[in-house]
Amino acid sequence: MPRLLGVDIPNDKKTHISLTYLYGVGHNVARELCHKAGVDPVKKARDLAEDELGRLAALLERDYVVEGPLRRQTAQSISRLRDIGSYRGLRHRRGLPVRGQRTKTNARTRKGPKKTVAGKKGVKDLR
Amino acid sequence: MSRSLKKGPYVDPKVYMKVQKQQESGGSEPIKTWARACTIVPEFVGVVFMVHNGKAHIKVQVTEDMVGHKLGEFAPTRTFRGHGGKGKR
Repeated sequence: MPRLLGVDIPNDKKTHISLTYLYGVGHNVARELCHKAGVDPVKKARDLAEDELGRLAALLERDYVVEGPLRRQTAQSISRLRDIGSYRGLRHRRGLPVRGQRTKTNARTRKGPKKTVAGKKGVKDLR
Repeated sequence: MSRSLKKGPYVDPKVYMKVQKQQESGGSEPIKTWARACTIVPEFVGVVFMVHNGKAHIKVQVTEDMVGHKLGEFAPTRTFRGHGGKGKR
């Protein structure tokens, strides 16, 4: 399997799909990369030549923020919001939705699995 | 949807005037304001505001990181006292 940027080993799918296995590379960026590096996007990743891989890696390193640095960037942005005591930082701290979504229902992605409260309306019906 | 760039950031004219006045005179007295929607511009760094949250004025010391945010973001309007009764009482 080909190796890109050290650890990541996209599998033997078409190149433009395979590249999306990198954190920070979606379909758009993947296609862009193929185009810029002059790689056929529908060629299987395992058939990529050494120089093609090199060009992809060089592009990624030069023009894009992916993987570790991207994760760090995101974490830093969040911790900045926390540190300045803004409303958005507060929401991050509490693990609640940040962008004004309702929390009466839904918001399960942020809040995690349901915690059933005894005696609340509807609890009996659940049983 | 974010604000049109054409318009530039919204900065409350009265607040801006007060900040400028303070910087001329060199005072550092808190500026009481209700203008929660006012964007914090670089000139505000170091100034102390008292931002209204609907009930009281919350002290906000502006730092460099706060530039680009709005004054209201630093004065929460809700107090969550927690759910549940029996167990706590």
